[in-house]
Amino acid sequence: MNCESAKKNAALFLYGELTIEEEQAFQDHIETCADCGREFEAEKRVQAALNRNEVAIDPALLVRSRRELALRLENARMRQAGFGDWLRRLSDLRIAALARPAAALALVALGFFGARLTTPKTAQTPQVAGLGATEPGVMRVRYLESGPSGRVHLVVDETRQRELSGTVDDDQIRRLLLAAARESSDAGLRAESMDVLKAERTAGELRPVLLYALQHDSNPGVRLKALDALKPYGGEADVRAALTQVLLTDDNPGVRAQAIDLLVEHKGGMTAGVLQEVVQKENNSYVRLRCQRALEDMNASVGTF
Amino acid sequence: MNSEAAPAMNRPSPIDADEAALIRAAQKGDHEAFERLVHAYDRGVLQIAMNLLRSPDDARDIYQEAFLRVFKNLHLFRLDSSFSTWLYRIVTNLCLDLMRKRKTRREESSVVETEDGPRDRLDTVAEGRELGDPQRSLISRQLRSRIDRVLGELTDKERLVFELRHYQGMRLRAIGETLGTSEEAAKMCLFRATQKMRVALGDFV
Repeated sequence: MNCESAKKNAALFLYGELTIEEEQAFQDHIETCADCGREFEAEKRVQAALNRNEVAIDPALLVRSRRELALRLENARMRQAGFGDWLRRLSDLRIAALARPAAALALVALGFFGARLTTPKTAQTPQVAGLGATEPGVMRVRYLESGPSGRVHLVVDETRQRELSGTVDDDQIRRLLLAAARESSDAGLRAESMDVLKAERTAGELRPVLLYALQHDSNPGVRLKALDALKPYGGEADVRAALTQVLLTDDNPGVRAQAIDLLVEHKGGMTAGVLQEVVQKENNSYVRLRCQRALEDMNASVGTF
Repeated sequence: MNSEAAPAMNRPSPIDADEAALIRAAQKGDHEAFERLVHAYDRGVLQIAMNLLRSPDDARDIYQEAFLRVFKNLHLFRLDSSFSTWLYRIVTNLCLDLMRKRKTRREESSVVETEDGPRDRLDTVAEGRELGDPQRSLISRQLRSRIDRVLGELTDKERLVFELRHYQGMRLRAIGETLGTSEEAAKMCLFRATQKMRVALGDFV
């Protein structure tokens, strides 16, 4: 392969659209041609930039689209069935049946949507070892399905897309799941990845990801999932520090309430003091009440001195 | 390593084993089967429409129209062909029609008025978590603006091929079938689109 062909094939190589022979010839060429090697690196950076430009679909838009479609389909079915059948179908309240799952999804989406309107948080993202070191920004988990006996099925985008199957014991699967839990643009995927990893007790690698999600994920549902997965480690100092921070700064009362429960479950020397501070500052009456009750259970004063 | 690599997919959701049964059931009037079929593909449909049209309202309209057409014509669908190809052909044709109408009406302004003044339409859609870092946000906006400019300059076919390959992960063969062209022609479109991107972004990334 000459330089002209290599330049022409760089993007197609990344998309996995070359034949095996073409791929081999391309790889052979860039290994020996420094100019084309640099061109290829630049092409990879362009692809990574394009990946970051993907338009995120607002979950609320999907929910709304599904709900509207359910109603329009019902109308179409009524027209197909004729007027007499229409009355019978109406009495079946099929619209309500179709709308129920859509309404449930709408509630979930409300959480996601609400989170988008809250102030985003920035911090240094923890790195998962071995991922993205050679292929910057081009590996993404797009789909996850967990099955029986701990087996998971992943669909991974590496610009070229492929499927992987295996267990969490599999190093690559585990690293991909950790990356998905940390940085997928899909909140549902982040939460589900945490679930799978939690079940497989990958504590050493998972805990930093969970702590990061708890303190910095923009979606309250994901933060709640991280809190849940951190339960076994509630007594650890770093987890308690994160819980205290969440209790004092998280903008979601549901997350704050759950943080109280976990903090109280593994009481430490500072717990009463933190709860007393929360009682003074907390605007949400439910969270404040949870704090007061926790302090009462600890035989601690509700006020600070 | 236990991972079993499989060939790249033509669509984002791997439910192929059940798909024929779902389609048959939906053709016989099973509402739940049709709903499952919709849910297997509707994120992809919305994503394609959103990427191509950059407007949530238009994407929602395309979503409705595409699945209503599928509903009305499902009885004509033959199980020996690909459902995803059929669906995405409907979606891309609808998007293409709207893009052409916009061009005719010169409506394709990427700037919309917001409470904070005029902003790029795409910036109003989703800014992810980059908001908290102004410098990163600025670079991201500039990059996005360049990418959008190039996307706007692609021919319709180049744009469709690029979106379907890059953001939907469809193989060129399937894209060719979806757009009614050959794999080789799709490959040329992809090549030209990526070359234009490379030229526009080369000094930026």
